[in-house]
Amino acid sequence: MKKTIKFSINGTKVQQEVLPAYLLIDVIRDGLGLRGTKPGCLEGECGACTVLIDGLAVNSCLYLAVNADGKEVTTIEGLISGPDFSLDPVQQAMVDFGAVQCGFCTSGMVMSIKGFYDECVSAQIQPNREQIKKGLEGNLCRCTGYKKIIDAVESLFEEA
Amino acid sequence: MNFEMITPRTTGELLQALANNQGSRVRIGAGYTDLILELKGLKCEETPLVINLADLTDPKFTHIEKTDAGIRLGALVTAGKVIIDASIQTELPVLCKAASELGSRQLRHRATLGGNLCTASPAGDIAAALVALEARCEILSADGTLRTLALTDFLVGVRKTALRQDEVLQSVFIPTRKSINKHLLSDFLKVGTRRSMEIAVVSLAYQFELDAEEIIRHAGIAIGSVAPTVKFVSAAGEFLVGKKFSSIGAVAADKFAAMVCAEATPISDIRASAWYRREVLYNISRGIFDK
Ligand SMILES: Cc1cc2nc3c(=O)[nH]c(=O)nc-3n(C[C@H](O)[C@H](O)[C@H](O)COP(=O)(O)OP(=O)(O)OC[C@H]3O[C@@H](n4cnc5c(N)ncnc54)[C@H](O)[C@@H]3O)c2cc1C
Ligand code: FES
Ligand code: FES
Repeated sequence: MKKTIKFSINGTKVQQEVLPAYLLIDVIRDGLGLRGTKPGCLEGECGACTVLIDGLAVNSCLYLAVNADGKEVTTIEGLISGPDFSLDPVQQAMVDFGAVQCGFCTSGMVMSIKGFYDECVSAQIQPNREQIKKGLEGNLCRCTGYKKIIDAVESLFEEA
Repeated sequence: MNFEMITPRTTGELLQALANNQGSRVRIGAGYTDLILELKGLKCEETPLVINLADLTDPKFTHIEKTDAGIRLGALVTAGKVIIDASIQTELPVLCKAASELGSRQLRHRATLGGNLCTASPAGDIAAALVALEARCEILSADGTLRTLALTDFLVGVRKTALRQDEVLQSVFIPTRKSINKHLLSDFLKVGTRRSMEIAVVSLAYQFELDAEEIIRHAGIAIGSVAPTVKFVSAAGEFLVGKKFSSIGAVAADKFAAMVCAEATPISDIRASAWYRREVLYNISRGIFDK
């Protein structure tokens, strides 16, 4: 039996008809047409599908859409702001440090960094390089070797 | 993947759902980090029915509560919540460390303590820490009664718990041990085939209580992935009690490691051989006393 769920996606309220077994990743990509969230392993291993739910990074491939009811979901599309499509500081850092190659992991990586950064800021934690690596252990990248990604994250905390 | 779902919001609704729905098709869903993969692989004739705990707000299920008697953790407390809780950091550091080793940050935001116990994997990280802490399971049944069971009796085999069909795990309770001037020494050691996102090949959880003279007053130790369930190793723990930590030398450390290994019954599988698991367990147990 389908159920109507209401949630906010990138600040806009939406409504979707979902079966209990629908996964959030499918509702985001197919229901709402937001294809920035990537399906990789679909088993919680790679992090390509990472989105924020009420500010916390989660794997949208292991999240039931019904449980998004009433929540605030943020996807990579939601990080762009303003009429001139300004990048979020996380996205800008990834560009500045050349931390993107094929790009498949990038949206999930950026969402993971965004969630990690915001959590650290609100807990007033200045993470070291090891802690940054640990914060991103749920995101696999086959191209970059991670160094530039971690450099990019470090730069965010240096500016802060 | 297809299933039906009931989403109780109160404990009353949950009990009703448990009373009205029993049988092999019923599953309980908490953080879904195990359950979705299980439901995807399921080939059954009947459509599964999931009792979804995600909207339950009863603090008995969702909160960490500290009293003089001990610490109670709701089954729906996530690994992420455990890590940032101040009373867990100071009083149950082994649990804090184990929770921080589970999966990834994304998974820790979702993975619940109850799910980790009810999945009953011999490699469960949170399970290993809670066994070392001699946690007691508080189990609610459809008729509203609560029973408590030692976690070691709750975990009965690979993916098997003592939960009956009309029961749900509500919380776990860790009694405070009354002792003066104690300080804690603990760690959760997990050996896998890589550093991140790894299911343990061998794990060792321990929390020792030392008095002001550094004498070990209590030693809770658990081992993971070397038996059908996580195991509490009592003899090795008792061996340490009364000894001064800093004066445990090579001979006693060897004896301790051998006693830990005596409780292991590892198997060989695709991730490691029984021999390797035993060697690793010996070395990490011994390593506790390396200075
Ligand atoms: C990529 C990946 C990596 C992982 N890495 C680790 C790891 O490093 N260490 C580790 O220990 N685990 C790991 N896991 C396993 C999993 O994340 C944990 O076991 C987690 O704690 C399960 O909690 P959950 O809330 O997601 O459980 P769910 O998936 O919701 O449920 C798990 C099982 O418990 C039952 N259940 C849940 N709650 C209750 C309850 N209150 N009462 C009765 N039954 C209940 C469910 O019916 C189900 O059978 C990993 C999983 C994935 C996908
Ligand atoms: S697609 Fe979700 S973690 Fe890989
Ligand atoms: S840039 Fe290609 S996978 Fe990360």
